[in-house]
Amino acid sequence: MDKEEITGELDLAQINAIVSEYSQHKWALIPLLQKIQSELGYIPPQSIPLIARSLGLFPSQVQGVISFYTQLYTQPRGRKIVRVCRGTACHVRGGKTILKLVKQHLGLEEGETSPDLEYTLETVACIGVCALAPNIVVGDHVHGHMNPKKAEQLFRNREGRG
Amino acid sequence: MQPITITLDGREVSGYPGMTILELAKESGIDIPTLCHDPQLTSVGACRVCLVEDERNGALLASCVAPIASGMVINTHSPRVMERRKTIVKLMLASHPDSCLVCDKGNRCQLRQIASDLGIGLVELQRIPQMASIEEVNPFLERDLSKCILCAKCIRACQELVVEGAIDYFQRGFTTIPATLNNLPLENSECTFCGTCVALCPTGALMEKDRTYGGTTKSMTETTCPFCGCGCSICLEIKDNQVVRVIPGKEDSVNHGALCVRGSYGCDFVNSPDRLTKPLVKRDNTFEEVSWEEALEQAATGFKRIKDKRGSDGLAVLGSSKCTNEDNYVLQRFARCVLGTNNIDNGSRLYNSATRTGLGYSIGFPCTTNYLGALGQSEIIIVIGANPDSSAPVVGYAIKRAVKYKSAKLVLIDPRQTKLSSFACLWLRPNVGTDVALLNTLAKVIVDEALLDEEYVARKTDDFEALTKALERYSLEYAEAITGVPAEDIRSVARLYGKATQPAIVYGTGITQQRGGTDSVRAIANLALLTGHIERGGIYALQRENNGQGACDMGVLPDFLPGYQNVADAQTRTKFQERWKVDLPADPGLSAMEMLERAKSGKINGLYIVGENPCLSFPHSGLITKALASLDFLVVQDMFLTETAKLANVVLPAASFAEKDGTFTNFEGRVNRVRKAIEPMGESLPDWEIVARLADKMGCPLPFSSLQDVMSEIEELVPSYEAYSDYERQDELAYGETGRTYGRQLLKGFARFSPIEYTPQAGERKSGYPFTLLTGTTLYHFGTGSRSSRSLRLKKFSPQSFVEIGETDARKLGVSHGDKVSVISRVSKLATSARIIDGLPEGTLFMPISFAEAPVNELFDIALDSETKAPLMKACSVKVEKIPLP
Ligand code: SF4
Ligand code: SF4
Ligand code: SF4
Ligand code: FES
Ligand code: FES
Repeated sequence: MDKEEITGELDLAQINAIVSEYSQHKWALIPLLQKIQSELGYIPPQSIPLIARSLGLFPSQVQGVISFYTQLYTQPRGRKIVRVCRGTACHVRGGKTILKLVKQHLGLEEGETSPDLEYTLETVACIGVCALAPNIVVGDHVHGHMNPKKAEQLFRNREGRG
Repeated sequence: MQPITITLDGREVSGYPGMTILELAKESGIDIPTLCHDPQLTSVGACRVCLVEDERNGALLASCVAPIASGMVINTHSPRVMERRKTIVKLMLASHPDSCLVCDKGNRCQLRQIASDLGIGLVELQRIPQMASIEEVNPFLERDLSKCILCAKCIRACQELVVEGAIDYFQRGFTTIPATLNNLPLENSECTFCGTCVALCPTGALMEKDRTYGGTTKSMTETTCPFCGCGCSICLEIKDNQVVRVIPGKEDSVNHGALCVRGSYGCDFVNSPDRLTKPLVKRDNTFEEVSWEEALEQAATGFKRIKDKRGSDGLAVLGSSKCTNEDNYVLQRFARCVLGTNNIDNGSRLYNSATRTGLGYSIGFPCTTNYLGALGQSEIIIVIGANPDSSAPVVGYAIKRAVKYKSAKLVLIDPRQTKLSSFACLWLRPNVGTDVALLNTLAKVIVDEALLDEEYVARKTDDFEALTKALERYSLEYAEAITGVPAEDIRSVARLYGKATQPAIVYGTGITQQRGGTDSVRAIANLALLTGHIERGGIYALQRENNGQGACDMGVLPDFLPGYQNVADAQTRTKFQERWKVDLPADPGLSAMEMLERAKSGKINGLYIVGENPCLSFPHSGLITKALASLDFLVVQDMFLTETAKLANVVLPAASFAEKDGTFTNFEGRVNRVRKAIEPMGESLPDWEIVARLADKMGCPLPFSSLQDVMSEIEELVPSYEAYSDYERQDELAYGETGRTYGRQLLKGFARFSPIEYTPQAGERKSGYPFTLLTGTTLYHFGTGSRSSRSLRLKKFSPQSFVEIGETDARKLGVSHGDKVSVISRVSKLATSARIIDGLPEGTLFMPISFAEAPVNELFDIALDSETKAPLMKACSVKVEKIPLP
């Protein structure tokens, strides 16, 4: 058994505990999903049948709801979320290149998470600080006036580990 | 309710509160196009094609969801509405792929129909490319979601009608698709390939696959599914005398617009190249094709010879639970009037006689007491010894619908895990063969806790004291010890059932084919009588085959004339004798098993088998084959050269259900119409016609020159079939309480309790044979498979026999999934492959019947139920050995 399967099993026990708190109330789906996500950081796909059974829903319905809400994830997420702005202002000032570089540095495509669970790469439409464009956000921290050099510095330690 | 009046396209019309604009328009003869709406499904208003405008405020409303409100001034086809509607449809076309041109849905595609109705030519919008189709290996249906317009009909069909929930929306925005869990191919999902979603999909996004015959349908015929006892209404689409496609029939029927995989994809056996097209006569051990004239001459001479030499008692007839009522009626008259014997029985003996005897005794008529639609009103449903998801899928859908959408509570009593397990609020897993103890204890709790309907019991029933006396020893502790079900659970079920107002009990072959099945049926009836629920929720007795009910109703039974009129009763006999103008044999005849036994011992010399395949369907098939081979003369009438037909002297080719008119009676007692859709294959003929011709040849013509003659006589002589052939009337009847042969009121007006004792089946598990083997049907096969194995798609999907072994047992045996194993009983053994599953209790195995290469019935010894003379086939002791790889 490799490490991932072990994590899988541990998760399920914890999920079962959470699920039983909410069982048999269809309306409880969203709060339940949020709770699982807040405790595990994501909603493991193996948990979908469990959730469905306890709420009297079909697994495909639960999956449908999860996939509808962008803030619910079925993949583990990195400790640091990197959001590269793809809004108009940032675009005009080279956001596209910044995204390309960040992808290279992290070795990740959009929506992907590094295997060591350190980073998840995402894009956003506009983060509201267009004056600093182009922008990226790492965790809670906004990095404005990005340029290739700064991007390299930010992620230098990641080179080759993607 | 106050009617609401609105102005619709300039006319004043009124409807009732809650009605949608679409409904009212339809009623007023105004056609509004729709794509996502279907009367069987909840409306979601997803496509907006049905929009209309309210002239007062200019609001555009989706008419399929917008309710009427008084004073509305609605235009359904104003220029503005038409403009909007066009735009909406154009947007859909813009994201439609080019393969639309060669789409097989072609002229049936509703999107294209609506587009052309709206006069849409070229779409000037920029095309949006769509994703490619999904690879599926199943032979039934394929998805090309680039043609999906996201109407969600498939999703709603699967959730609301079939209650499988295999698919739902996945993702959002442009990438949304209807998808299975983890977006896997259907064969890796919960999908059962019922085809319901395919029939409803308005575009080519969902289509049937692997069709044997293409082309555009030329005609459609409404008829009844020939497989299970549900009696679904189906519609055969025909071209060039071939069944091209099957879709659900009338919405207003037992199946509510849904079907199962057999009905949707299994009917192609009709066009199988294996069909017999000419009569065959065996000479020097090989079959020769001959003319009807010659075949009938041979058959008649053969039977006459035996009749002259041995008398009528040397002859016997086995009728079919698959043939129509009319076929069966003529057949029993042939046996009684032409051959002069009561030795006539039908294949439903194997699974139906416990119901006939048990319910017949308890409530006076041997049939389900309520109609399927009423299940939706039951707050408690007890399912015992039935796996409707495979044996009677449409009943399964109804149960799941009741649980999911009507908040009914399901109590499942079954040692095996089935699809219903996850819908059950209580799942009891009694030891195999202990149902009577469990049922008696339920009755005792109901009596002890005064949950019975005293007034009903006093007014309508007999033998209550005898029952209470017999129930004395069934304490909860006693029951727990025998059945292995916790006392607490037994008490809960008794209370649930006793306190509910309209609870229902559903049972199937898990009850009727067990040893003591008749007792279990009576014990079930006791419960329903004690509480008076028999007249409310009632009892649903599932039938395995499409016309098991009808064959018995028609008197294809050794002890009953048509309509369960006792043959031993002189007065009854006189009535029939006067009508038929012959002397009728007075003694009840032989049951199916007895016929075969006597064939072996040389006491039955000639047998006429119509539409049955006892070589596979009866227990201990080795012996049956020997018995049939030792007959002097065997005539088999069938669609195929079955294992049984191969043993015959004369084989008569019968027409399929699609090639004849008549009726089937479903498990509810509803008489459903069978209509001719195509010409019979080759020279084959409808069964009743063959029988009538044979009677002519034997010099005793029967007075039937048309189907109507047969029907008129049935109406005259079979109680509860009066006026059944008046189809005009029947077609008008809405689906529901009416249209069934038996009403909910008990026929005789009173019912009887039966004191039943549980008899332990000690020593049942013979030493050295540690497993109890259960048998049953699978969804993808039917009966002995003589039809389903000739349906290309069904065969392709599930071609191999298997035995299900529980995880623990498998570990102990060292057997893993897919291993070849031998299953060995005291009388025989067979090889098959192992399927490891987690829903079986330890010591229990399951094997489907229906596979000719592994005839499970072979394993069973012949043991007749003393009361019903039915061979016991549901459980048998076996051992399992792993076959080492060569
Ligand atoms: S697959 Fe067909 S039925 Fe399902 S949403 Fe798409 S168009 Fe509608
Ligand atoms: S075929 Fe039946 S079970 Fe499968 S997805 Fe369609 S409706 Fe659901
Ligand atoms: S449920 Fe029975 S009657 Fe209905 S389609 Fe399936 S096999 Fe035919
Ligand atoms: S566009 Fe990037 S912050 Fe507004
Ligand atoms: S039919 Fe009314 S919105 Fe689709």
